[in-house]
Amino acid sequence: MRLPKGFQFSQGSLQDYVDCARRFFLRYVQRLAWPAVESEPILESEHYAQLGEQFHKMIQQHLIGVPAEKISAMITAEELREWWENYLEYYRQQAMANQTQLFPEIILSAPIGNHRLMAKFDLISLQKDGSLVITDWKTARKPPQRIWLERRLQTRVYPYLLSKAGDFLNNNHPIYPEQIRMIYWFANFPDQPEVFSYDRKTMKADQERLEYLVEAIEMGDEKAFHLTDDKKHCQFCVYRSLCGRGIQASNLDTDEESVEDITSFDDRLDIDQIAEIEY
Amino acid sequence: MKLTPDQLHIIEISPGEKIFLEGAAGCGKTTVGVEWLLFLMAQGVPASSILLLVPQRTMAKPYLEAMQIPGVSAGGFVAAMTMGGMARRMVDLFWPLVADQAGFARPDLPPTFLTLETAQYYMAQIVTPLLSQGLLDSVVIDPNRLFSQIIDNLNKAAVVGFPYQEIGERLKGAWNGEPEQAHIYEDAQQCANHFRSFCLEHNLLDFSLQMEVFTRRLWHLPPCRDFLNHTYRHLLAENIEEDTPVAHDLLREWMPEFESALLIYDTDGGYRRFLGADPQSAYSLKEQCTSQACFTNSFVKTMPIEALENDLSEILNPESHKPAHRSENIPKNQSDPRTALAHGFFRYYPEMLDWIAGQVQELVQYGLPPGEIVILAPFLSDALRFSIMHRLEDLHIPCISQRPSRSLREEPVTQCLLTLAYLAHPEWKDSYPLSKFDVAYALMQAIGGMDLIRSQLLSEIVFHPRKNVPQLTSFSIINPAMQERITLQLGDKYETLRLWLEAYQQEPPQELDHFICRLFGEVLSQPEFGFHTNMKSGEVTANLIESIQKFRWVAGDQLVQAGKSTGLEYLEMVRQGVIAAQYLRSWETDINDAVLISPAYTYLISNRPIEVQFWLDIGSRGWFERLYQPLTHPYVLSRHWETGRPWTDAEEISASQDTLARLTQGLLRRCRQKVYLGLSILGEQGYEQHGPLLSAFQRLLQQWQTEGEM
Ligand code: SF4
Repeated sequence: MRLPKGFQFSQGSLQDYVDCARRFFLRYVQRLAWPAVESEPILESEHYAQLGEQFHKMIQQHLIGVPAEKISAMITAEELREWWENYLEYYRQQAMANQTQLFPEIILSAPIGNHRLMAKFDLISLQKDGSLVITDWKTARKPPQRIWLERRLQTRVYPYLLSKAGDFLNNNHPIYPEQIRMIYWFANFPDQPEVFSYDRKTMKADQERLEYLVEAIEMGDEKAFHLTDDKKHCQFCVYRSLCGRGIQASNLDTDEESVEDITSFDDRLDIDQIAEIEY
Repeated sequence: MKLTPDQLHIIEISPGEKIFLEGAAGCGKTTVGVEWLLFLMAQGVPASSILLLVPQRTMAKPYLEAMQIPGVSAGGFVAAMTMGGMARRMVDLFWPLVADQAGFARPDLPPTFLTLETAQYYMAQIVTPLLSQGLLDSVVIDPNRLFSQIIDNLNKAAVVGFPYQEIGERLKGAWNGEPEQAHIYEDAQQCANHFRSFCLEHNLLDFSLQMEVFTRRLWHLPPCRDFLNHTYRHLLAENIEEDTPVAHDLLREWMPEFESALLIYDTDGGYRRFLGADPQSAYSLKEQCTSQACFTNSFVKTMPIEALENDLSEILNPESHKPAHRSENIPKNQSDPRTALAHGFFRYYPEMLDWIAGQVQELVQYGLPPGEIVILAPFLSDALRFSIMHRLEDLHIPCISQRPSRSLREEPVTQCLLTLAYLAHPEWKDSYPLSKFDVAYALMQAIGGMDLIRSQLLSEIVFHPRKNVPQLTSFSIINPAMQERITLQLGDKYETLRLWLEAYQQEPPQELDHFICRLFGEVLSQPEFGFHTNMKSGEVTANLIESIQKFRWVAGDQLVQAGKSTGLEYLEMVRQGVIAAQYLRSWETDINDAVLISPAYTYLISNRPIEVQFWLDIGSRGWFERLYQPLTHPYVLSRHWETGRPWTDAEEISASQDTLARLTQGLLRRCRQKVYLGLSILGEQGYEQHGPLLSAFQRLLQQWQTEGEM
């Protein structure tokens, strides 16, 4: 399949492919804008997405030196205040200020197949003991199951890419998989972070899987991008009218796992989202 | 790609150098820029520590493309941005530190960034009452153009770097007409003052305020400065001559902090002057660099094109004419510019368009790829764009129009969606009384297979503005003969749509963007409806939704507090043309495979050399004259104009001549083989025309004819 010029793989696009090859084709090959409702209730989903975005920005502000009290003073939503206080507590507990180096909102990219794989990290921290921790801030309303998280492409791509492309964050030394940990931290459940360690074997398996996926996409013709058999994915997919897979979007509350999927607003990363807007 | 020794020298120059690279278009400067960037990365410089600064986002394209290839080493990501983009990002990040001192009334609340559209909306809200008090009464232009010129003045003040309170004084000082007219500049100043106060009061930041807060406040604040210095250690600034004086000031101060830098300067640029570009101030950055280089050899032009450029420049602007490097040894037949020219002269405009389409067809038949052809006009109206594209499409030649943007409300898909929105909200009836034709047109778009005749028949019967409330009645009450004529299948779809709208009305009204989102997904894009499998309808709808959403996020709360419907206010603004709801047509053919139809300046800035150019309508004065903008002035509101000095007719003519000379030179430097000139005695509007570009070509051809006869 000829992918559009400048296309780069991300965990979001690969997750789309794994969930439904057709969705990948429509979204990334045809670049088809299809503005149907993704999840109901629409106003609430929008509100949560905005709060999540604001929360990520507040953390970034804090990590680049804006005093916490200045940020706190601007919070107007109660939910956000709660998340923020949870975060500050976590920040103190982790003694983040004492860690060697913090790299918030960093993008890494490495070659894969005939393309590149890229990811935007909420935070990578280089610890005093030489280990590197990837932290992903999550604002999901329900904590997803560990097994579900473990299978997500995000959990596979992030540590892999850090090892492949993150040397410059490690004072130009190679990063061995064993040095890496990935933490999903939940603003609503601050005491239940999910931590994933990494090792050579897992990395090898990840590399094989990622290369396999990329190759399958690169080699497949249009027919290979078939509709998913798991119709649950269609409930939260904007293309359902195009595929004849239903009329209305499902309610976020009805599907525990999909909550996390939809509220990750930074996973469909592409170059246009990174580049700047001109006036 | 094989690089010349000069190019290689710059790329591999010792790290730590700050290089100023100048040269005309087509000399390989961007190639050097790309390779310099890749070389830095290959030396182990983290990509995320490199700042790629461009005056316009499109100019970053060659760099981003080069970094997307698999061969580029793994690592971070080069930050490509404009100074405006950086200003916005920094204000957003450091807002809690700057809001108070920048004079915002609610520093404890987050900022709201305005787009051009939402700025225009607020400007209309603020200025319209002032207009009814008699302000600007002698300026006879569309109020929307008036609003945008006041916004433009504020932007100029911000990017040129003078206090916005001086706009009126500067413009008035240059006024050379009737003294009693000079008050319009005081009025324009008053409008700008009101707008700025309103923004400060409500934490609204238009482009001008974003730039001012960044350059005048944040830039001097240690946390922001430290962040920038720490993040970006290397600089590549492309086409600095198209950037603004304030951007140059900032770079001047920033330069010592960078470990290495490459500044690229196009010696003939400055095409974005109307947006505040200042080549003179850009050139002053040369002194900041430790090493300077100048490229003179074009990789683009052929000998006849070079001769054409030279001769035309001599005619158009003899005073500032610098002869291009033409070797004395070139045989005369190789430097005859006529070999690089073709022309078609006609009486009527459509004849000229037919000729152009015919010539393009011939070129393509002879094997020239369509992507190597560009059709250029000084301005590209919708009508002109349509006429050319229509002709080329008839000939099965792929084409793409590179117009900066196009208004959504002109799209049938939008008209359909807005009509259905009015139908679903009977309470909006007074704002826009729907006609039967509106409904017929909407049904034709909405229902797959519905033609205009059937949709008109249907709307005649089912659409009743009862008691002034627009309503659709059921298909089932139509007589069977008519049902047959319309067809039961179409009737069935109509019923689905009608019932959906009826059900919507039973619930509390939703936001307009949510309404459209649902209508699209649940009805119009479903099988057998008009938007199903229609890529373009999805794109137009998505753009419309985005425009409404941005408007709601910015103005929604205030409107709700004032008891107004955000959706209705949006529709009103679109109808009045305040919100143009412009968008870029991304579904069109890949630019590289199609004939490009573009306004001349847009093409110049896209920096894309091409084999063949068509210059449309060379008799038009549009090639020479500025747009009529009575409330603003790109030259007077620049750093090089002394306040109080009048702008005379002589200056206007000289500026226009200079502009035309630069424009034609810029175009020719991006042309490899041939220029086709299209002329019609009667222009697009039907008037006879004889502009300076035509005269210049007549002189040029005459000169060569005489030389040939001697
Ligand atoms: S609707 Fe279902 S089948 Fe169609 S693209 Fe979405 S997930 Fe795939």
